[in-house]
Amino acid sequence: MESVAIIGAGQTKYGDFPGLGVKELFAEAYLEMLQSVDRGLEQQRIGAAYIGSLSAGSGFQLGQLAPLLMGHVGLPHVNAARIENACASGGYALYSAACAVASGKFDLVLAAGVEKMRDVSSSKGRYWLGVSGDTEYERLAGSTFAGIYALMAARYMHEYGLKREHLSMVAVKNHRHAVSNPKAQFRKEITIEQALKGVPVAHPFNVWDCSPTTDGAAVVLLCNAKIAKEFTDKPVYLKGFGAASDYLAIHDRDSMTRLLATRKAADEAYKQAGVGPKDIDFAEVHDCFTIAEILAYGDLGFAEEGRAQYLLEEGFTQLDGKLPVNASGGLKAKGHPIGATGCGMACEVFKQLRDEAKEPSRQIKNARYALSHNVGGSGGTAAVFIYQRGDA
Amino acid sequence: MGAHISIPMYQRAVPQRYRLVGQRCGACGKINFPPKAVCKYCYQGTSFEDVQLSGRGTVYSYTVIAGGGAPPEFAAEARCKGSYPVIIVELAEGPRVIAQMVNPPEEGIAIGMPVKAVFRKIYEEEGVIRYGFKFSPA
Repeated sequence: MESVAIIGAGQTKYGDFPGLGVKELFAEAYLEMLQSVDRGLEQQRIGAAYIGSLSAGSGFQLGQLAPLLMGHVGLPHVNAARIENACASGGYALYSAACAVASGKFDLVLAAGVEKMRDVSSSKGRYWLGVSGDTEYERLAGSTFAGIYALMAARYMHEYGLKREHLSMVAVKNHRHAVSNPKAQFRKEITIEQALKGVPVAHPFNVWDCSPTTDGAAVVLLCNAKIAKEFTDKPVYLKGFGAASDYLAIHDRDSMTRLLATRKAADEAYKQAGVGPKDIDFAEVHDCFTIAEILAYGDLGFAEEGRAQYLLEEGFTQLDGKLPVNASGGLKAKGHPIGATGCGMACEVFKQLRDEAKEPSRQIKNARYALSHNVGGSGGTAAVFIYQRGDA
Repeated sequence: MGAHISIPMYQRAVPQRYRLVGQRCGACGKINFPPKAVCKYCYQGTSFEDVQLSGRGTVYSYTVIAGGGAPPEFAAEARCKGSYPVIIVELAEGPRVIAQMVNPPEEGIAIGMPVKAVFRKIYEEEGVIRYGFKFSPA
């Protein structure tokens, strides 16, 4: 198997952009990625492109989205395909691109994601957002994604004494982190009192426990590690990548306090990278709802299952803690343009591991290994990546 | 695009939705609900015997969907009730299933409380009322 490096990454600001469609969002991220390649790139060398998107622009281009986007940026003939695994679409695009490079078939492969969520009313948005759960049972029970994660939170509280305050601590931390991320959707601190008293969504969640709807795109360029130094002195190596599935419907799973898909994906990624949870210097994890970050601590091996909440109490995962989690602001505050999210995490890691997160107080110092974690829906799919800085 | 369930698709699941028909695995004897092509417990069995589930079980977890957060096809119900509970039930026969709860106790829902299945209207779409099971305190 060939080794894989990241040599370029770009993303749009995440937010609400009535003036930009999927094509424009994608192009903005793509052009920023091109600029980030230190010694430049002859675009035609790109061998393949995997583009994650759930709704393909709120449903207007469900078929053949990838050639539409590649034609928009001057690469109409590249081997391009859309990848869909709900909120993990971007992660699976990255995973597919990594496998394509590792196989030796291609030297340069694009992994991207794009989502245009803010063109439709919130009622229409909720209609298509619900398509990624188990439609026949979860949806017919009147549940939403917030509802499914709320069921996990209630069970976690019952089994492990998790408090409502712990959920809010995730929201407060990630909002604080987003303040120094110019790409983030919500660059505003919230207090614990605010976070505890939002408008109810699905008990025990209020609006501050939920990630927003977001427009955005992210593009990452992968290459065979052998040629990485042609392009930059500071590549970021993708040392491990794992992906796994689980029953789509939550009632089919044995446990509701862990995501087996994450656990299996993490095992695969750690094993390939030859490192463990204790080696990770910072992580971007999938906090679509506050409980999701707490589950991730356990599933990624940062804490024992049932004890994840104590990491929050100790400040372990704050920017100045031992293991900063979601320095970007996470899905909660950086934003969650579904198909772009997995690749947007890779953009953040790329910047951090090249010491290019220049905004005051955001740069994580002396980091060697990083992890990103992207989940589809309520855990029907998950992808985990381990990165190593390349200038050391 | 959306989470639309067509009338024929609904019709195909009537044994589950109206009567809670589960399947006993010919290989390991455990009961699957909803049905699978291969048993979810032993990953081996592919032949099953229909079994009528009792509809009795206990609450494994619960949430309460707030009026403003309901899926559009449940918006009318949410408007009328203000909010509605959704629970995971651990059925007496083993499998778990997600469904709405009706007549929740005033003091609130508790994990572990006994419930029983009841036949109710789920929602109306395309002019056809869809019926199915919900759970009420037992």
